[in-house]
Amino acid sequence: MTAAIRTEGLTRGFRSGLAVDGLTFELEAGQVLALLGPNGAGKTTTVRLLDGVLLPHAGRSLVLGLDPAVDGDAIRRRTGVLTENAGLDDRLTSRENLLYVARLRGFTRSAATRRVDELLERFGMADRRDDLTGGFSTGQRKRVALARALLHDPELLFLDEPTSGLDPAGTRDVIALIDQLAAEGRTVVLATHFLGEAGRLADRMAVLHKGRLRAFGAPDELAAQLWSGVGAELDFGAAADAATVAALADVPGVRSVHPHGDGARLVLDDREVLPRAVAAAVGRGLAVYGAATRRPTLEDVYFAIERRIAEEEGEIATDGFTARLAEVAS
Amino acid sequence: MNRTRVDWVAVRTIVGRDIRAVRRSKAITLPMILVPTVLLILLPMAIGVLARNAPTSQVENALGSSLVQGIAQPILSLPERERLVVLVLGYLLSPLLLVIPLMVSAVLAADAFAGEKERRTLEVVLHLPISDRDLFLAKVLTALLPAVAITWLGSALYAVVCNVVAWPVMHRVFVPFAQFGVVVVWLAPAVALLALGLLVIVSSRARTTQEANQLGGAVILPLIFVAAAQSSALMLLPPLGVTAVGFVVWALALALLWFNSRRFTRDRLAAAG
Repeated sequence: MTAAIRTEGLTRGFRSGLAVDGLTFELEAGQVLALLGPNGAGKTTTVRLLDGVLLPHAGRSLVLGLDPAVDGDAIRRRTGVLTENAGLDDRLTSRENLLYVARLRGFTRSAATRRVDELLERFGMADRRDDLTGGFSTGQRKRVALARALLHDPELLFLDEPTSGLDPAGTRDVIALIDQLAAEGRTVVLATHFLGEAGRLADRMAVLHKGRLRAFGAPDELAAQLWSGVGAELDFGAAADAATVAALADVPGVRSVHPHGDGARLVLDDREVLPRAVAAAVGRGLAVYGAATRRPTLEDVYFAIERRIAEEEGEIATDGFTARLAEVAS
Repeated sequence: MNRTRVDWVAVRTIVGRDIRAVRRSKAITLPMILVPTVLLILLPMAIGVLARNAPTSQVENALGSSLVQGIAQPILSLPERERLVVLVLGYLLSPLLLVIPLMVSAVLAADAFAGEKERRTLEVVLHLPISDRDLFLAKVLTALLPAVAITWLGSALYAVVCNVVAWPVMHRVFVPFAQFGVVVVWLAPAVALLALGLLVIVSSRARTTQEANQLGGAVILPLIFVAAAQSSALMLLPPLGVTAVGFVVWALALALLWFNSRRFTRDRLAAAG
C-alpha cells in the first residue's frame, strides 16, 4: 500500500497562535480518515495545508506523492473538496455553479455540460438545474456541492461536515455514497462532528486538539490502548441488583460489573467468559433477555480521548453538557 | 508566482462567471448605471441647456474668471455664442468621465475577493487548480473590462448629449475633440488599472464587501479628487501632452499591479479570511 497522505511535523500558525502544531501521520490510499476534534482544533487548517491552499511554517507533507507547498495545482487537480458551507454562488443556477468549476478543472465546454447534467441527475437535482441556488434548502445546496466535489473523479476527497443540514434520508444517501467512493479505492478525509457517521465509515481516526494530533490510528487499536478486555452487556429487563452484580463479579474472567439500564455492563478477559456470566445469572434465577459483547464505538473512543486530554490539560471535557453538569454537581 | 503560461481558458471562465453574477446583482449594477447616467448624461444635459441660454454678460464673466484665464485663448477664437457651451461641456465637464473608471473599478474590486468571502465562495475557488497569478489576473480583468466598457459607452453617450444639447448654438459636432478622444481611449483605462492595482489587494485583505468599500474609499477618494481637480487642466494640454500623461499613469498602474501581484498568494488570501 502506498501512502496517500504523509505528514511530518506539519505546523502552521496565524496571528492568534498555532492552528496546526507538529502534525505527523500517514494515511494509506483507499482508506477513510475521520478527522475529529472540537471547533478550532485545526481540522480546516489541516485540509487547507494538505490541499496546498496554505503553506506550512514548519514540517512538510506529501499528498498523492506530491508536496502541496510546491505542486499545489497538480494536487488540486486530483483532489475534490466539499467545504462545510456549500460555497455556491446564490446569483448563479446550480448548473452554472458546476459548469464554472468543470471548466476550471479542464473540461471542454461539451464535456463539462455532459458531466454536470449527469451529476445533477445522479444527485436528484436535475429538475432544479436552471434555478438560482439562492433559493435552495441546505440539503439541496449540499447535494450540488457534493456533485461539484466529484466532477473530476478525484482520487482523494476532503469532506468537511458532509451530512450537516441533511435530513435522515439525505444523510443515509451521503454515507452510502462515501462508502461507495471508499470501495472504489478513493481516499477520503472526513472532518466531522457526527461521530456516528464517522464510526460507520472510518478506517482511521485522528483526534486534533488545539492544533496538535492527540490520537491517531484504527478505532479498534485506539480502543485497545484505552481499555483492556472485552465489553459486554446483559439484558435482565431491569438494572442488576447488588447481589447479581456480586455474583457476576465472582465469575472467573469477569473484570468489572456495573448495573446499567435494563441489566449490567461487564468487562471480560475475552468473549469466552460471556457464556459463563450468562450461566451465573441464569443460576440465580434471572431471566436473560439478551447477551452480547460490545465493541467500543468510535464515539466511545473519541470521548475517552477527549476526557484524557481534558485531564492532562486541566480543562473541562468537550463532550457537551454532561461533563459540565457533572462538574457543576461535584 | 510561477512562470508557466497563462491559462486563458481559466481566466476567461472566472471573468465570465463573475461578470454574469455581477449583472444579476442590483446592489452592484445600480451604482454602475446611476453614477455615469448622472455625470455623463443628466448633468451635461442640464448645464448644457443653461449654458446655451445664458446671457452674454454671464459668458463674459465666466471667461474673465481666473479658472478660465488659461484656456480662454482657444475659446475666444470661437464665435461669441459658442464660447460658454464649449467651455462648460468641452473643458469643464468632460474630464469628469475619469471618475467613472475609478468608481466602477472600486465597486467591482470590492466584490472580487471580499464579496466572495462574504458569500463563502472563495474557499471553493482556492481549492481549484488555478495558479495564484491567473486568479489575480482574472480578478483584475473582471473589474477592468466593465470599467472600461462603461466609460467608453458613457463617453459616447456624453458626446451625443453634448452635440444634441449644443446643436442650436453650434450647428456642428464638437465632441469628441482630440484631447477628449485621448482621455477616453488611452487615459481612462490606465486610471481604472491604477485604481485596481490598489483595490484588488484591499479587497483580498478585507473580510466583507462593506469593509472593502470603506478601505477602498479611503484609497480611491483622493484619486477621485485628483482626477476631478486636475482633469480640466488636462484638457488644456495638446493631444500629445495628454498622451504623455497617459504613459505616466499606465507606467504607475502596471508597476503597482506587478508589485501587488507578487504579494498576492493563495496563502495570504486564505489566512486573511
